[in-house]
Amino acid sequence: MELRRVEESIFKILMILSLVIVMGSLLGVIGTILLKGLPALNIDMLTKTAQGGYYLGKGGGILNAIIGSAYLAIGGTVLAFFLSIGIAFYLQKEYSGGTRLSNLTRLCLDILWGTPSIVYGAFGFTVLMFFHMRASLLAGIIVLALLELPIMTRAMEEVIKTVPQELKEVSYSLGATRLETTLSVVSKQALPGLLTGVLIAFGRGIGDAASILFTAGYTDRIPTSLFDATASLPLAIFFQLSSPLPQVQQKAYASAVILLMVILAISITTRLLSRKYNKYIIK
Amino acid sequence: MSEIHIEIDNVNAYYNGNHALKNISVKIQKKQITAIIGPSGCGKSTLLKCMNRLIDLTDGVTYSGKILIDNEDIFARKTDIVNIRKKMGLLAQKPIPLPMSIYENIAYGPKIHGTKKKSDLDAIVEKYLKLVGLWEEVKGRLNSPASQLSLGQQQRLCLARGLAVEPEIILCDEPTSALDPVSSQHIEQQLLKLKKDYTIVIVTHNIHQAMRLADYVIHLYLGELVEHGLANEVFENPKEERTRAYINGIFSPDLKIDSEENLKGKMCPYNFVYAKQALHNLEDGKILKIIVDDPLAVTEVPRGMEADGHKVLIVKQINKKDWEIVIQK
Repeated sequence: MELRRVEESIFKILMILSLVIVMGSLLGVIGTILLKGLPALNIDMLTKTAQGGYYLGKGGGILNAIIGSAYLAIGGTVLAFFLSIGIAFYLQKEYSGGTRLSNLTRLCLDILWGTPSIVYGAFGFTVLMFFHMRASLLAGIIVLALLELPIMTRAMEEVIKTVPQELKEVSYSLGATRLETTLSVVSKQALPGLLTGVLIAFGRGIGDAASILFTAGYTDRIPTSLFDATASLPLAIFFQLSSPLPQVQQKAYASAVILLMVILAISITTRLLSRKYNKYIIK
Repeated sequence: MSEIHIEIDNVNAYYNGNHALKNISVKIQKKQITAIIGPSGCGKSTLLKCMNRLIDLTDGVTYSGKILIDNEDIFARKTDIVNIRKKMGLLAQKPIPLPMSIYENIAYGPKIHGTKKKSDLDAIVEKYLKLVGLWEEVKGRLNSPASQLSLGQQQRLCLARGLAVEPEIILCDEPTSALDPVSSQHIEQQLLKLKKDYTIVIVTHNIHQAMRLADYVIHLYLGELVEHGLANEVFENPKEERTRAYINGIFSPDLKIDSEENLKGKMCPYNFVYAKQALHNLEDGKILKIIVDDPLAVTEVPRGMEADGHKVLIVKQINKKDWEIVIQK
C-alpha cells in the first residue's frame, strides 16, 4: 500500500478512537447514573420536598431542589441574556468597531470564562457578608448570571459576527436605522445561533454547584420569595452523596437522573426551536 | 425630458489610500436608464455605493466631492442618510432576501417608515408583488420563508422590496449576474417597464445588457470617467479611444474566422457539446464562429466556453432568431 494511503488510514483510526473514547465516557456516565438512580427514582422524588433533613432524611423527595434549580437557572439565564445581548451587539464592528474598549471587554470575558465557579461563589459570599445579608435565591441568580455571562456573550458575539454584511446593507438601503437593522434583521438571522448560546449557558448554570453553595444556600423548603435560601439539584446530589446512609446516597443518583432529564429536555426544545427559525436564514 | 436627477460633482474616493474614483463629475437624467460600464475594478460599484452612501459601511474608505439628489447634497453632514436611502431602491448582485417570510420581506420597508395597518401592508405587498410579476407564483405561500424561492424569484422579490419603500431611484449593481438567462430577461423587462416612473442606474459588465437597456452610458476605466452620453452615440460612435477599445474588445469587426459551425435547431446542451468539439479540432489561437438560435445558448455557451479557458470575442444577434458567437481557442 502507498504511504499516503497508510497515513490516511492512521488518521481515520485516530479519529474513530477519539470518538469512541468520548462517546464511551458519556455513555459510561449516563449508564452509571441510570443504573444506580433509576431504582431509587419514584414519584415521591418528584412531588415531595425533602423530609427529615437533606443530609440524613430518607423520606420525601427533592421537589425543593427541582424548583430551586429551575428558579436559579432560569433567573440567571434571563438576567445574563439581557446583559449579554447588549454586550454582544456592542462588540460588533458597527458599534464599537475594534476599539480598545471592545478588545478589553473581550479579554475580560475570556478571563471570566476561565474563572472557576467556586471563585464566583466566594466573591458573591463576600458581597453578601458586606451587606449583612443571608444566602438567598436572588444572590444565587446574580452569581449564576455572572457565571453564564461570558459564555453567552462570546457565543452570541461569534454568531452575530457571521451575519453577512450584504444582509445589513439591504436593510440600510431600505432606509432602516442601525437599531432597526439590528433588531429585525441581524437578530432574526442570528436567532438559531443565539438560542444555542443561551442553551449552552443555561446548561452551565443549572449544573453548577460551587457558585451557589455559599450564595443560594440549601434548604428543605421551596423558596417563596427572592430573599429565601433555596435548594438546587447539583447541591442536592452533593449533600446526598456525602451522607453516610446508603438510601440517601442512592437518592443522589436519582437526583442526577432528574438533572440529566432537565438538561435533555431543554436541549431538545432548543433544537426544535432553532430548526423552526433556521429555515428563514439566508445562506 | 432631460431633467437632472442625480448630479455627481467632482467625487473622489479612496480605499485605504488607493484612489478608486478620480474626479468623477456626471449628471444622471430623471426617468431614464443610465448604465455604468467598464472592466472589473474600475470603480463602477464604488460610484453606485456612493450614491446611497452604503460606502460608509466599508472599512478604510474616504470620499470627497458632492452628490446632489434633487439638489440636496447627500455627502453633507446635516443630511439625514436614512431619508436619502429611502429614496433609492437597491438591487444587488445576487439576490439577498431578508431572513423572513415573503410577505415580511416586502412589508419590512413600509413598516419601518411608519405603515402599521395590516390592511395597508397587505395592499402594498400585493401591489408590488404584482408589479414584478411574482404575485401569481407566491400568493398562496406568502408566509413561507423567502429563502425557499428560486434565485430568479428572489431577485424579483428584492426588486419588489426595494420598490415598496416608494423610491425615486433604483440602483442596480449587476442585478442579473447571478441569474439564469430566463430570469435575467425577466429582470431586464421589469427595468424597462419601471423606467416610466423611476430613474434607474445600472452597473453592468455585460455590454449587451447595457445596449439593451440603457438610454445613457457612463464608461469608467480605472476610476476615471472616460466617456458618458446617450447610449447609441457612445456605442455606435465613441469619442474616446478607450471606450472604442472597450466596446471593440467585445465586438471586433474584422476577425479572421478559421472555422464556422451552424448549430441552429440544436438545443442546449448539444450546441455546447458541438461547439466544444469544433474547438477541439482547432489549433490554439484560431477562431471559431457558431450560429445558434436557442435563447439559452446565447448566455450559456459563452459562459461555458470562458469557463473552459477560451476567449469569447463576440456575441451578437444577427437576425430575429439567430445569434452569432465568436470564440477564440
